[in-house]
Amino acid sequence: MNRFAEGIVKFKWLIILAVAGLTVFFIYESKDLHINSDIISSLPDDDPAAKLYKEIGTQFGGNDMGMIVLETDDVFKAEVIQHIKQITDSLKYTNGVSSVTSLTNILDIKSSEWGIEIGKLVDEYNLPDKQLQLDSLKTYVFSKEMYKGAVVSEDGTATAIMFTLLPDEDKQAVATEIKDKIEALDLPETIYFGGLPMMMNDINELIVSDIVWLVPIVFLVIAIVLLLSFKSFGGVLLPLLTAGLAVVWTIGIMAVTGYELTIISNIIPVVLLAVGSAYTIHVLNSINHIKLADRKQALVQALRYIIVPVILAAVTTAIGFVSFVFGAYLTMIKDFGIFTAVGTLIALILSLFFVPALISTLSMYGKKTAIESEEKKTILTHKILLPLVKFLFKHPKYTFMSWGFLLMLCIGGMFLIKTSVNMADYFKKDNPTRVAEGVMQKKFGGSLPVFVVFEGDMQSPEVLKMMISTEHFMKEDPNIEITQSIADLIEQMNDAMGEGKKIPDDKAKIEQLWFLLDGQEVMPQLVNDNLSKGIIQSKFVSVDSKELEVFTAKMNRFIEDNPNEHCKIELTGMPSVYVKLNSSLINSQYNNLLIAIVMVVLIVGLILRSASKGIFAAIPVVATIIVLFGFMGITGIPLDIATVLVASIALGIGIDYSIHVITGFNKHLISHGDAEKAIEETILLSGKAVIINVISVSAGFLVLLFSQIVPLQNFGLLVAISMFGSGLGALTLLPVILILANRKRKIVTNNH
Amino acid sequence: MKSTIQTAVMTAIIVAGGVFSANAQDASTILKKMDDVMYSPKDMTGKNKIILIDKNGKEEIREATIQQKDTDKRMFRFTSPASQTGISVLSLPDDVMYLYLPAFGKERRIATSAKNQNFAGTDFSYDDMESVLYSAKYTPKLLKTEADVFVLELTPLNRSDYSKVIVRINKTNFYPELMEYYDKANNKIKEAKYTFKKIDNYWNATEIEMTDLKKNHKTKMQMSDVKYDTGLTDDDFTVRKLKQ
Repeated sequence: MNRFAEGIVKFKWLIILAVAGLTVFFIYESKDLHINSDIISSLPDDDPAAKLYKEIGTQFGGNDMGMIVLETDDVFKAEVIQHIKQITDSLKYTNGVSSVTSLTNILDIKSSEWGIEIGKLVDEYNLPDKQLQLDSLKTYVFSKEMYKGAVVSEDGTATAIMFTLLPDEDKQAVATEIKDKIEALDLPETIYFGGLPMMMNDINELIVSDIVWLVPIVFLVIAIVLLLSFKSFGGVLLPLLTAGLAVVWTIGIMAVTGYELTIISNIIPVVLLAVGSAYTIHVLNSINHIKLADRKQALVQALRYIIVPVILAAVTTAIGFVSFVFGAYLTMIKDFGIFTAVGTLIALILSLFFVPALISTLSMYGKKTAIESEEKKTILTHKILLPLVKFLFKHPKYTFMSWGFLLMLCIGGMFLIKTSVNMADYFKKDNPTRVAEGVMQKKFGGSLPVFVVFEGDMQSPEVLKMMISTEHFMKEDPNIEITQSIADLIEQMNDAMGEGKKIPDDKAKIEQLWFLLDGQEVMPQLVNDNLSKGIIQSKFVSVDSKELEVFTAKMNRFIEDNPNEHCKIELTGMPSVYVKLNSSLINSQYNNLLIAIVMVVLIVGLILRSASKGIFAAIPVVATIIVLFGFMGITGIPLDIATVLVASIALGIGIDYSIHVITGFNKHLISHGDAEKAIEETILLSGKAVIINVISVSAGFLVLLFSQIVPLQNFGLLVAISMFGSGLGALTLLPVILILANRKRKIVTNNH
Repeated sequence: MKSTIQTAVMTAIIVAGGVFSANAQDASTILKKMDDVMYSPKDMTGKNKIILIDKNGKEEIREATIQQKDTDKRMFRFTSPASQTGISVLSLPDDVMYLYLPAFGKERRIATSAKNQNFAGTDFSYDDMESVLYSAKYTPKLLKTEADVFVLELTPLNRSDYSKVIVRINKTNFYPELMEYYDKANNKIKEAKYTFKKIDNYWNATEIEMTDLKKNHKTKMQMSDVKYDTGLTDDDFTVRKLKQ
């Protein structure tokens, strides 16, 4: 250990140069870091429903579809129709837009006794402006199933303008251009933007604004906490420097390995700043404690003391993060787990190598701060820790019982815990995407796409008939309002040929009806090129987990009950994905908590060479996790893609406080031999470090309350509460357990 | 003095007017000559091969026989692929079309006012397929004269999806070599390349290659076995004939 510490001092310049070089390299590389706002891409490939959904979205262009909703008191007014045309034209002439469908340009196919009339619903060169024309248009639109509730809402107050983007286009850029163009029209009606391309654009803005705003605030908040605690520049600068470098390196590594920033991983900098500063604080503390005249020797000795606890703290935290890799459903959560763990280890390495190297190079400045910070912290000791120690020794049982009562309450609260998978809920209530989603749901039958995929000969009567009967079955569900498929079009064309609205029994007839459909813009959205695959497109109104689950189960049963040799049927879409996501939230929560607890108990027990100490150390964090879930249940904060992360993070960071207390207790017990005295000294000494750490980490995470993304706000609040809980647990529950266990042992030994 | 200036102004105006009208005259004359080349035969029969090429280069081929009389009567009969054999389309004046599907054994009248729709999955819109004289549909302007071609800018007289069409007309034979179609935002959206060959006394477009630049999709229409002025009558363009 001494050799290691001396080595650092010896090679300090090499270390500093290496760190500087790597930092420059990573800063340079991080230019290439992209933002990935495509939530769909985070769906896992090992889930068949999710994989199919991704494939279908790409193959049939659904992921490239956008929607603009125009809302007013009555759509059928001359000026509103005029505005719809303005929007339609401005979309049509935007590069990257492949097709536009709106009230003013939609194709209208009428069939009559003598034939088919193909025309436009509205003559775009001669828009209806007389009341009579407008009234008859309204009556006609509401008489046709393909317009009512699809192009114009059933109450006639909103109309949808649908558009598709060219697949190879930079969707974000096109979406931005569309938004700017439409907003520049400055129309009096309320305009909403929906669909994946527009939503991604919005998410992108949120990610950028979160990074730009939150990171500096976290920096500032942690700096203030550190300044108040250490009252020295070095005490502020060094922890922030290592945490900052850890952020830069991690981002750099993400860029080099080809990963992207997502709505979850954009908080990696915040997390690392809050977590990563801790290790340097420990190292600094240790150096400041050693009052040897020879600074070099002091540094070496300080390192020797601190190396094991710091490694332990970092490794347990990293385990908390890594546990997401197992059991998380969304790949972006796995990525988050991996890179926060990597960042934590980088912060550790920097604290152990770079910080001592830097201090030994600039050793002149280190001395003064050591003495100063030593004296300032006594307020904390006298006002909080001493009274706490007295109270604990006086009322250990009350303290224990209070914790017991709190835990009982929270266990009750845990049963109230809810899950949330609806992506619209991730945005604040006033966020345009969320508002738009609400409007889509109310006026246009929801925005959750449902696809039923048929694999077989798309021109065979059997397959088409199966599609029709599937559509009938789907429409029995109150949450399904519209379905669309190639089978519907074939029925319509057959009707136009004067043979009724049904699928012809003769394949030759279907093939010839196809001649009428060939080249229609809607075709690539319904069947693939070689006609071996087709889909039923639909939307699901509700976002209620229960209803999604019921629908998915019902559909899958229908598919199972209707096996046939003509085609393979599969269900996918957002409901299927949400159902999987929902069950995975609960499962992965169990899994990664279990993994994290076992790993932590094992590692702590192994390093402290005592199984009971491993378990003791885990008690305050397990209690904290119970409090956390209880709090979520009682306050109604749901388990979602971000809050599912809290428990493991709380465990990983919170365990450090217990480790501090236990190792402190061990050390003092050896030097004093008296357990009670050891507990007192431990609380007084480690208590300071624990409280400062709780405050700085909590303050860092609480900054997330200003995030634009709701789950991240909840995440910040919950981590702060967990930090507070683990700190309190380590300073009250754990000592009380030690006191009580010790008294019992005393009584037992006295009795003998 | 005064009169000198007046005379100069007058002369300038006359000369300028002369130049402008000469220019306009030129442009319309050129376009009329093009119309003559394209629409001079009384009737035509031939074989038509339609090759659809998607953005990955995948080809789909359809074959049809074609009969045309004057500029406004046309009959398409598909001969390939097998599933489409016998499908016939008869186009008559005033946007009236009849479609015959042999599997159903009956015809339907199709009235289409949506002329920007593409014809049977090709990149040609009904508008493009219409054989109305260019000089009746567009106002021409001579943009420039190059070594081998006149470059004309055509502005639609009536409603159209195009804001303009730029056409390059062969100087010696007056057939079009290239037409470029612009949308109302002035983006070039389609282009048609023409290959002409003289058959009997007429120039024949042996191939028209239409490219949809947005979708990166191409349609080649190739003509073969072309015969002119074989004496087709209006009776050859009736619903009864359609079903044969």
